[in-house]
Amino acid sequence: MSSTTRQQVLRHLALVADLQPPVQKTGKAPYPTDMTHDLFRAFTRSPHDVGGEFDVPVEWTEEEGEAWGYRAYVTTECLAWRGVWCAEERRRMQNVDLGTSQYLGLPYYGRWLLAAARIMVERGDCSLGELINKFDEVKKRHEPAR
Amino acid sequence: MSQHDRTHHAKIATGKGDPQCFKGTADGPPKFKVGDRVRIKHLPDIFYTRCQVYTRGAVGEVAVVTHESPAPEDESFGHVDHSEWFYIVRFKQRDLWPEYPEAFANDTLQTEFSERWLEAA
Amino acid sequence: MAHDHDHNAPAPMVEEVSDFEALEIAVRELAIEKGLFSAEDHRRFTEFAEHIGPTPAARMVAKAWLDPEYKKHCLTDAIAASKAVGVDWLNPTGFGTPSDYTDLRVLEDTPTMHHVVVCTLCSCYPRPILGFQPEWYRTPNYRRRLVRWPRQVLAEFGLSLPAEVEIRVEDSNQKCRFIVMPVRPAGTEGWTEDQLTEIVTRDCLIGVALPKPGVTSNIPLPVHRAAKPAHH
Repeated sequence: MSSTTRQQVLRHLALVADLQPPVQKTGKAPYPTDMTHDLFRAFTRSPHDVGGEFDVPVEWTEEEGEAWGYRAYVTTECLAWRGVWCAEERRRMQNVDLGTSQYLGLPYYGRWLLAAARIMVERGDCSLGELINKFDEVKKRHEPAR
Repeated sequence: MSQHDRTHHAKIATGKGDPQCFKGTADGPPKFKVGDRVRIKHLPDIFYTRCQVYTRGAVGEVAVVTHESPAPEDESFGHVDHSEWFYIVRFKQRDLWPEYPEAFANDTLQTEFSERWLEAA
Repeated sequence: MAHDHDHNAPAPMVEEVSDFEALEIAVRELAIEKGLFSAEDHRRFTEFAEHIGPTPAARMVAKAWLDPEYKKHCLTDAIAASKAVGVDWLNPTGFGTPSDYTDLRVLEDTPTMHHVVVCTLCSCYPRPILGFQPEWYRTPNYRRRLVRWPRQVLAEFGLSLPAEVEIRVEDSNQKCRFIVMPVRPAGTEGWTEDQLTEIVTRDCLIGVALPKPGVTSNIPLPVHRAAKPAHH
């Protein structure tokens, strides 16, 4: 039993590399008969679970953080401090719920920020309409004068 | 609009910390002890897991019994009514990866699991 | 309000903001407006975040090297031992930081065992005693590869260890947080706590470097500059 699981695990790790980012080639959803167990597990995986996947050596770098990124981090921690959510709910929304494309395609603190926005709407502290209007208003506040 | 008591965690954890605030809340004593051989269960991954897929089906040894806490699969949805014991389990790298060089057979990896992911091996 | 269409008036100086910057402002203002947290909360937590860094963890290691009793304390109750280096893990909320929890573990290196830490699932890191994690620690690349090809990844950081040294990867995936306590290097006999603290860099505390006399900074790496960096 164990060796079958390990073989599955190793096939999974090799396969998910080919799914990133997923690209819809045929323009329609696959038929159920096209889905194998391996594909089912690949698509239902938690995107943050990357340990053991294939990748190549890269130049390691440091990053000077953006001020907005640190402010977003503080905001997410203040939301947890005051009991709106806990860190694990944040991790789920920020690292898994958004799916593989966004997970790999968005800046690190961009995901923290989206999760903070999301929890406020999910909890009903603001409506999505209010968030959209506020976002729009802030953008307009900072538009260069015409 | 939320019914959830937002002061709850601060009430139970102030002065103690987290996971200390969950001490004594698991259903019983730890099922496993240091030195026990355990296998990682390959449960389905629906929506969220912190049990890494690269560990599934592997057999390791309990290195540390760490603490009680709600499992992350529950805590990530705000379900904190039930706690489990957590364990750091140690694996030989050659048991995880078929290509891991024999030259480095001593190398190990350890990571932490909540009890639901472990079965005796 | 009357609009002044005097074309001689200079355009107002308004900075362009990115989508993320705008959303950050929107989320913070909305959260404060709705009473989810206060502006004072945000200031207090910002101040906490601005003052964390790797020095306390470095000093913890230095103290442990000099005092076997303190070393034992670090290995059995690192949260309590943190107080001796000025870190109270319950700060700033009274129950700890929401993301870093209050269960620190110290991984003791020996001449035949070297530890290195990763969080394959996200980037869990003991911020209260070590500061913010470097960008490379957060990358999917480091998280994919360190658990499976640790010696290769460490070699890219300039660290090659003989086969007789067991490399033990710690995948920090739950509430425990880890720092590495390296072996005290030769050539530091008679050194003060301050001198020892200086050579225990953040990279040593993660496990991608070993402390060396004369080396008091992290491995030099290219730095990607921010468009609008934080000013600390």
